[in-house]
Amino acid sequence: MTTLALPRRGRVPVWGTCLVLAIIAELIYFTLTTRQFAGHGTGMLQLTEQFAPTGVLALGLAMVILTGNIDLSCGANASLAAVIAGTVLAKGGSPALAIVAAIAVSTLFGLFNGIIVAFVGIDSLLVTLATQFIVTSIATSVAGASPPFGFSSAFTLIGQGSVNDVPIALLIFLVIALAVILTISFTSLGRSLTLIGYNPRAALYSGIAIRGSLTAVFTLCGVMSGVAGVLLAAYYNSAQPDIGTDLLLPAITAAILGGMDIFGGKGRIGEVVLAVFLLGYLSQGMLIEGDSSLSITMITGLVLIGALVIKVVFERNFRQRLTARMQRLRTMRSPGPPGSISPDADG
Amino acid sequence: MADHAKRAQPAVRREPGLRAVTGADYESRGITKTFGNVTVLRDVTVHFYRGEIHSLIGENGAGKSTLLRVLAGMFPADGGELVLDGKLLPALTPRDAQRHGIYLVPQEPRLMPDLSVAENLYLGALPIRRFGAVAWRQMIDTTEELIASVGLRADARLPAGRLSLAQQQLLECARALSHGCGTIFFDEPTSPLTAHDAERLFELMWQMRDQGLTLGFISHRLDEIEAVSDRITVLRDGSVVARAERGTWTRENLVTAMIGRKLTISRRAQRTADPGQVMLDVDDLVAPPLVNGMSVRVRAGEVVGLAGLVGSGRTEFAETLFGIRHPVGGTVTVNGKDVTGASPRKCIDAGLVYLAEDRGRNGIFADVDIARNATSAIVGRLPRVAGSFIRPWEEQQLARAAALEIDVRASSIAAAMKTLSGGNQQKALLARWMLAKPLVAIFDEPTRGVDIGAKESIYSVIESLAAGGLAALVISSELEELVRVCDRVYSVYEGSVTGELAGDAITLGALGQLAVGAL
Amino acid sequence: MTTARNVKAASSAWRDLYMPPRWALLLRRREILVTAAIVIVVAASAAAHPYFWASGNLAFILADSVVITFLALGESFVMIGRGVDLSVGAIMGLSAIVVGFRIQNHGMTLLPAVLLGAAVGIVFGLGNAVLVGVVRLPPIIATLGTLSVYSGLEFVVTNGNQVDTIPSSITNLGSHTVLPGIPVILLLTLPFVLVSAWVLRYTTFGRSIYAVGDDAEAAYRAGIGVQRVLFSTYVISGLFAGLGGVAFLVYTSGASSTTGINDNLTAIAAAIIGGTALTGGAGGAFGALAGSVFLTVTLTAMSFAHVSDVWQPAGVGVLVLLAVVYDSRSRAGGPRRSPKRQRRRGAR
Repeated sequence: MTTLALPRRGRVPVWGTCLVLAIIAELIYFTLTTRQFAGHGTGMLQLTEQFAPTGVLALGLAMVILTGNIDLSCGANASLAAVIAGTVLAKGGSPALAIVAAIAVSTLFGLFNGIIVAFVGIDSLLVTLATQFIVTSIATSVAGASPPFGFSSAFTLIGQGSVNDVPIALLIFLVIALAVILTISFTSLGRSLTLIGYNPRAALYSGIAIRGSLTAVFTLCGVMSGVAGVLLAAYYNSAQPDIGTDLLLPAITAAILGGMDIFGGKGRIGEVVLAVFLLGYLSQGMLIEGDSSLSITMITGLVLIGALVIKVVFERNFRQRLTARMQRLRTMRSPGPPGSISPDADG
Repeated sequence: MADHAKRAQPAVRREPGLRAVTGADYESRGITKTFGNVTVLRDVTVHFYRGEIHSLIGENGAGKSTLLRVLAGMFPADGGELVLDGKLLPALTPRDAQRHGIYLVPQEPRLMPDLSVAENLYLGALPIRRFGAVAWRQMIDTTEELIASVGLRADARLPAGRLSLAQQQLLECARALSHGCGTIFFDEPTSPLTAHDAERLFELMWQMRDQGLTLGFISHRLDEIEAVSDRITVLRDGSVVARAERGTWTRENLVTAMIGRKLTISRRAQRTADPGQVMLDVDDLVAPPLVNGMSVRVRAGEVVGLAGLVGSGRTEFAETLFGIRHPVGGTVTVNGKDVTGASPRKCIDAGLVYLAEDRGRNGIFADVDIARNATSAIVGRLPRVAGSFIRPWEEQQLARAAALEIDVRASSIAAAMKTLSGGNQQKALLARWMLAKPLVAIFDEPTRGVDIGAKESIYSVIESLAAGGLAALVISSELEELVRVCDRVYSVYEGSVTGELAGDAITLGALGQLAVGAL
Repeated sequence: MTTARNVKAASSAWRDLYMPPRWALLLRRREILVTAAIVIVVAASAAAHPYFWASGNLAFILADSVVITFLALGESFVMIGRGVDLSVGAIMGLSAIVVGFRIQNHGMTLLPAVLLGAAVGIVFGLGNAVLVGVVRLPPIIATLGTLSVYSGLEFVVTNGNQVDTIPSSITNLGSHTVLPGIPVILLLTLPFVLVSAWVLRYTTFGRSIYAVGDDAEAAYRAGIGVQRVLFSTYVISGLFAGLGGVAFLVYTSGASSTTGINDNLTAIAAAIIGGTALTGGAGGAFGALAGSVFLTVTLTAMSFAHVSDVWQPAGVGVLVLLAVVYDSRSRAGGPRRSPKRQRRRGAR
């Protein structure tokens, strides 16, 4: 008989577990090999300040990737936000005003991306490619010959301060992560985005507002770029116009490593968060060890490729076994209740 | 071994045109093919002789298309053998089949839209000169010659995407010939064609036959079949039930063979209540090129069918109602509310839902669980916490209840949609639309790709929904289906309604006439 | 039974089947349009700033475009096959570094340098080729990964040093001119452009790239080795990036650990402007040349118009947007296809 069981609680996600294990492994490694890493226990927490902005960016990107699109301009957008925040502060504005202005501008560019992708219908890769260039120019221009630096401590608190040894930047990242998880899992918008990612046509036929949802997700990515930019400016206490551009690669890597499917639909934000930590601690550990930032980029690239190759190979074997299992299941199912009308005497 | 020999030769420059190609004697012996738990072909033996046009007829799901695909190497058969000119063929791939001279012109020709006609023609076998350079000049000249020989007059440099469907089909024929294929199968080529284009295709087919080619042909239109064929084989539910040579058939025999002895289908029980008011009122809807002024009325509690040939525009009509396509004229009213040209969302909110035809492309989210598939149309109406956050447990319960009501068979509501059988997928989609509490529902080929058992449950669902007041519009190419469930049936031809049958006038015979275009 | 409707539809359809005569078609080709645009920009700029015309200047501009031309050429091969290579800039940088050190420290001459550059490019292109062609990762991810790896490698290979001395025997190629206004180095790119154009148009391999880009599944059914073709396009892209590295040395006589990192997207922009769409199946070698020259000329014209260099990236971005919008409007009404969503085999 039909069971249609409700989902069992507590099924363990495989990829997430792998990520957790990898994080534990690398933390142990770095603690043992590099003296300054653990830093009396609070060191590890403090390190998160460095990669919290990347994490916020990765969250915004993950939402966009969920729909099967991509936003190459989010790094530049973060730079612009940082520069705007810095400029407002340099001109005597309050931290609150700086933050609002920064996020407002980045949101506008996110909205612009969204409208071109959703309403004009150009592919997001191309649009955000172009937007990235444009925003980079604007950021450089606004920053001017001497980019602003040396901000009030009220402002830098966001990026450098801590509450009971927990960095504020980390808290902001986690709060945003939670908000994104809630949005995607429990709101109409989140559901729309997921379904659009899985099958845009079926989403259309289900009455899902595709254009509105796409515009919204790019706008949200813009918001997150703004937050990342603010965090960056606060952490580095300066607003260089390329401050965020370098984060694009790590952010995308974190999103993909965290399991987001580049074709859309699949992926768990929780695992993206784990990937952020994995990559963040990896780069921090290597930095403390004395490796250059470009070596770190290289290792990050290798991790991405390696992880994906493993995933692809694993999934291919898994899928073959799964289809075989499904075949067996299906032939076991009975064709129908007895006594059904079968007008064809030949069968 | 033959493979190696072929590859060792320099790229063969094939002689264009009909002259150089001859057909072969091609036989399928005892072919059996099963997909999942549905047996589509049962011990099918059909013999295609050279110099003949041999047609396959039968209803939807009879196995005609599958047989052609097995013959052309698209699917391996599960049992039986293929014999070409007396020789047993090993397992075929499409490429192998082409090498043996077998070509399948698919129902929807798939060409490369940005590449030129010439390149499409010679795809995979471009003619070359010394140094391996592509011989464009020669290619273009021979292309124009070759396509002219099939009746297509077009510039060889034209991007193939600009050809109309009919022209693309002719191009496919030319491709077959250019590859030296003399055994050509046509899978429902005339469905999307106008009568004029179909004529042109037939002239080509006769030409080819007279040259000694072997031709196989599928169509739903009996007048075409009768005009064109030298030999007819009738398939029903995967088996051969009748064969006839030219001169030995009558239309009645053919129809009877196709439909079988199922002349007494239990009609649906008369409802006790009379149909209610008009829920769906479509007035002279125009959406070129396929919807040319259709008017349809469905009352609450009624099940109304749309009968017609494939390509008559019924699905496009439904898509226009639902907002997927845009009408340029006419009105659509649901329960008094004007929804002409409204988006799918607005239609759903106004009470109009659409179970689309191609569920793989337009219906299911394959990798998503059943629950979320079921609620995809009513996300805005799901129970919430604090006005914003969906309650997942309640959502699951809701989906589960709907799925149980429609008898979806699966192990868990969290199972991915793709793990379900076709019938259960369709039922899950029904659950989706029923959750939307519609006033009007359009069912487009509701039991396509669905096994017998699931078919029955889908019919009972439709009937009970109608009994509960739903206005149902059923689009179907399966005659029994229409007889079984409908109170009234409109016939549709080339985008307009041409007739209406009601009540007891809906018989297999009458519908059979409609289906074969004998109006 | 031919209704009036059918007859009308039939006759108008036939009318559309003829292509305009060759010359008219030529005028519509993207490369010609872009060349016309180049001429317009040059003319306008020269009218406003006579100095623009000084022969040395034009040569300078054209030499400037050479590196991007190489990158765009390689990128075109990949894009025609519906892929994308985000690592071309890094490969170019690696080639410039490796070859540069050989020249600087070991006195390598030009011809071996070119061969070495090509070899370096091929080796790194193989990385991409394996990931996309064999492992079948999505090109965006694969080349993003290799971009990271190769950028990092640039640093590792330079080991803190730089290339800064290139003998004038080599750099002269960048500054000497044959005819007034045409630098030697531009002439050296022409053979590559011509060979690429020839391969793309006249070889079965080249045509199979178009086929794969247009509809990979249909190409597969027609017997084209899709994965093999894709593999080759990434090797070619690497090869040209390697050559671009040598061109870079000639032109700038130096290289460092950050060479090329920003050129990836400019290469793609040049290819797009030149008519190669990310959706594959269209575009060509001359387009890459035209697009890259157009970009360079326009950016230079901008600085002549006293637009600060800061706005150069924005200029590229706007031009890309314009090109893409123009493309989407003028495409033969086909369905909009996302470059990322290749039809997954079996997915219906």
